[in-house]
Amino acid sequence: MTDYVDHDMKVSHTKDESSRQHFVQGMRGYVLNDLAGHMKTVWERKVEPSFEKVNGRAPADGPEVHKTFKPETIFKFYSSMRCNTQEMVWRSVMPAVEREGEDLSRRAQVLSQAGDKASGTVATDPNFSVPRYVSELDVHLMPGNYHEERFDHDVTQGAVFDNGLGVFSFGLLGNRMQDITDSVSTYFQARYPDVKPEKVLDLGCSLGHSTLPWKDRYPDAEIHGIDVGGPCVRYAHARAQSYGITSHFHQMDAEHTDFEDDTFDVVYSCMFLHEVPNKNIKGVFKEAHRILKPGGVMIHYELPPNSMMSAYDGFYLDWDAYYNKEPFYKAFRDADAKAEIAEAGFKKDSFFEHVAPSKNLYGEDALLEAVNNKDATNNSNVGRFGDGVMWYFFGARK
Amino acid sequence: MPDDSSNVGPTPLRYSVKGKRMRFFDSQGVDELVSICMGLAQEMWVIKERQAALESIAAKKGVVLPDDVEGYVFSDDERTTLDTERQGFIDRVFFTLREEAESLAAEPEDEPPAPSMP
Repeated sequence: MTDYVDHDMKVSHTKDESSRQHFVQGMRGYVLNDLAGHMKTVWERKVEPSFEKVNGRAPADGPEVHKTFKPETIFKFYSSMRCNTQEMVWRSVMPAVEREGEDLSRRAQVLSQAGDKASGTVATDPNFSVPRYVSELDVHLMPGNYHEERFDHDVTQGAVFDNGLGVFSFGLLGNRMQDITDSVSTYFQARYPDVKPEKVLDLGCSLGHSTLPWKDRYPDAEIHGIDVGGPCVRYAHARAQSYGITSHFHQMDAEHTDFEDDTFDVVYSCMFLHEVPNKNIKGVFKEAHRILKPGGVMIHYELPPNSMMSAYDGFYLDWDAYYNKEPFYKAFRDADAKAEIAEAGFKKDSFFEHVAPSKNLYGEDALLEAVNNKDATNNSNVGRFGDGVMWYFFGARK
Repeated sequence: MPDDSSNVGPTPLRYSVKGKRMRFFDSQGVDELVSICMGLAQEMWVIKERQAALESIAAKKGVVLPDDVEGYVFSDDERTTLDTERQGFIDRVFFTLREEAESLAAEPEDEPPAPSMP
């Protein structure tokens, strides 16, 4: 079984496959901590001083750091090894998922229909058209992305993503990879005690790991998740049923859902917007506004905007846009979400942004303490695994 | 092998990323060599873990059976030791990548120059 995949959809790896996963976890630690540290030293001690000598000023922004740093050997090895490690994450779990693929599909169907622990639902659409910005990419260098299907009721890509994320996160996202939404929703509940949602929707929910924590916060609420990937929503539902958490999953596009006007009290997304082109993000905001009840809240967990960080940190976070098959990530982080949210019709002056400390890492007390402190801060650990982990989110009210 | 189309399973899973491949090095083949080195390091680590399991079992039982190794689960202490050893292993294999940073951090401004090249 993969670490952090402990439900009834888990797969069995051979000993050698598990060893490959351990190696990838170690290699990720090496690339993101050691090698990234060496890279920063070379930047600060060699490349930046030499840039300043020639130009009489520091690099203005992330792209200028990127352009200056690109010819350096350390940058090339960091980048090349990070890409390789990323691909190795998926390849380390795929053989077991492939071996058990058809059985996983049967298990998912049984779990979905079983009502003993939970009574959620799942709906896929055989005529669903996956948006081009998803169908044409292997996002995160994951072969098959969120949506590819090879047979009826296929859950393969959900399983690859779940097991891969277990390897990728090496425990930093919590034992059910719930930490981001667990932290954000705990912060949100404490900060906005007047909001008592009856219906919550999670956009681009993939495995449902960002959907289910809302049920912990608001046990009486009806919880929904949507995703364009059929394998993901099937898998998400089976996973939720296995955990005994009643929730409803639908194969839908966040820009054009089938929900009625004024349906939800909270529309949320986690690590979703940065995978969407800006013009479609505007559509997502408008659709969220339509399906929210008056007074309802839209919340997005995301990587912080470039305006919040140094040129080097901006370069470091934008790396993924260029090399990790997340081409819309930089434009999103450069954009002014506040203005776009206002344009979508949300209440003027209702925009908020906060940074929630990781509940998994610092505990609930530290998180609740932060609720009473300052808002979003400039911190190079925001949204990244490192010595400290802070989660940035923003939103507005209808 | 006889052709028996009734036994054909799903299309094999695609393991390669579609679309443009990232390239970082100017010299042809270096990107591929990095991938190969990392693949080799990974396979070597697989052997190290198997070896560690064998040694633990041998020490405990005095007899080693193939299934013992396949089914052996490292104790928490053994896992912690292995995790530490693995980081040392990676650091040794990729040692050259920390050399530039450490050399710069040591501020080698006064290094006597080598004789001019013939």
